[in-house]
Amino acid sequence: MEALEGIGINPPLFLIYLVNFIVLFALLSVVLYKPVLKMLDERQAKIKESMEQAEKIKQETARSEEEIKAHLEKARTEGQAVIAQATQIGERLKEEAKDSARQETESLIAKARTEIQRERDKTIEELRAEFADIAILAAEKVIKETVDKKKHRKLIDETLKESTTFKKT
Amino acid sequence: MNMGCGCSIRIIALVAILLLALFLTGFVFGPIGSSFLDTKAPAFLAVTKPHIEIPPEGILHTPVLTITNTLIASWLTIIVLIGLFYAFTRKMKLIPGRLQGLAEVIVEIILNFIKSAAGEKNARIFFPMVATIFLYVLTNAFLALLPFFGTIGIYEHSGAFVPILRGANTDINLPLSIALIAVISVEYWGVRSLGSFRYLNSFFNFGQLRDGFVSLFKGKIRPAISGILFGIINLYVGVLEVLSHLIRIISFTLRLFGNMTAGEILLVVVCFLTLFSIPIFIYGLELLMGLIQALIFAGLTLVFGIIALTPHDEGSEHKT
Repeated sequence: MEALEGIGINPPLFLIYLVNFIVLFALLSVVLYKPVLKMLDERQAKIKESMEQAEKIKQETARSEEEIKAHLEKARTEGQAVIAQATQIGERLKEEAKDSARQETESLIAKARTEIQRERDKTIEELRAEFADIAILAAEKVIKETVDKKKHRKLIDETLKESTTFKKT
Repeated sequence: MNMGCGCSIRIIALVAILLLALFLTGFVFGPIGSSFLDTKAPAFLAVTKPHIEIPPEGILHTPVLTITNTLIASWLTIIVLIGLFYAFTRKMKLIPGRLQGLAEVIVEIILNFIKSAAGEKNARIFFPMVATIFLYVLTNAFLALLPFFGTIGIYEHSGAFVPILRGANTDINLPLSIALIAVISVEYWGVRSLGSFRYLNSFFNFGQLRDGFVSLFKGKIRPAISGILFGIINLYVGVLEVLSHLIRIISFTLRLFGNMTAGEILLVVVCFLTLFSIPIFIYGLELLMGLIQALIFAGLTLVFGIIALTPHDEGSEHKT
């Protein structure tokens, strides 16, 4: 016991140190360990969550990119189809227009031809009438004899009908 | 620092010359010089011969208890620790400021140290006790190196000088109290993780003794004799095991107390003998020593705890 006191062992003091340590332990738990460990865990959880979210977003982005690509591909093929169709339609329209134009031209030509024919017939008719008058006049002058005009005319008409050169075609 | 190389060498040289001059002054006018060269120190350099006292000195004497300078120092340690960490962790934020970051770094360093030894799963069991021991011993040791420790004091009626503050680790009651708590914690961890019976069984292996008596009742003499013999040996080993656990208290206590007291005495003596320069290096040494002692105390507690947590299944290998 003497020796223990010699190096300073002192039971009341020892008890106080024991209490001191326990108080320190409790206070440090409240002030340091609990809040800091909680915060560390919280932060770890948060980081993990963020990482997972980032991973998810990355996957989602990749998927939507894929989707967009597919959409674009589809739109391109569709566009090409539309263009092909349009070209076809255009071709057809052109063909049709050409056809109708030709038909119209042909009909115009035909009409013109009949017109011309009619014009000619009329002209010939008129010429013939005039010619008959002139012939009568000439005959009058030549013969110096007044023939019955009506009779004369009939005579000439007959002659003309017999002639081949002025026959109607 | 962005100082040029030549500049910093010049500064180092200047500091070295200053230290050398101080050392020489201390040597010539200090106790060594005065005894050899018979110089007389000027009054402001006169140092009284240190009086080394192993038990802590009382400051306030009450009938029940004497409040010692080491006890005051340990209270100071507690106030410093709690005050600092309270200030650091008062407003915890997910994105830490510098002070909160410092507290977190301290906790994480200790926690990682424990994890590296005890594994991820058990680290949280040991953490509060090991961290408290580490911080307490470390702060006690570091505070004891501050200038106002051991220098400011009162003169008692007998004329002896008593400093108001003295390194708390140099009072044997403090290492003893931590050692007792550490050993009790180790046993508590063992009982909690293995159950009281299995934990007791890791000390005393009753299996063979029981087998021996069973054989005796069955009339098999040879297995009975060997079983009882080995059973008694096992009991003796158990007693040794218990003793070794109790001796841990003493080894814990004396290691910390011895190192810290020796460090303190070394500082006092070197300061007295050389006055200047040399104590700087001793202070550096003591800083390292405080860290090492705190690490050893906390580390050994941790290791003993890990051992207590691992079951010794020795009984199974002898069964036939």
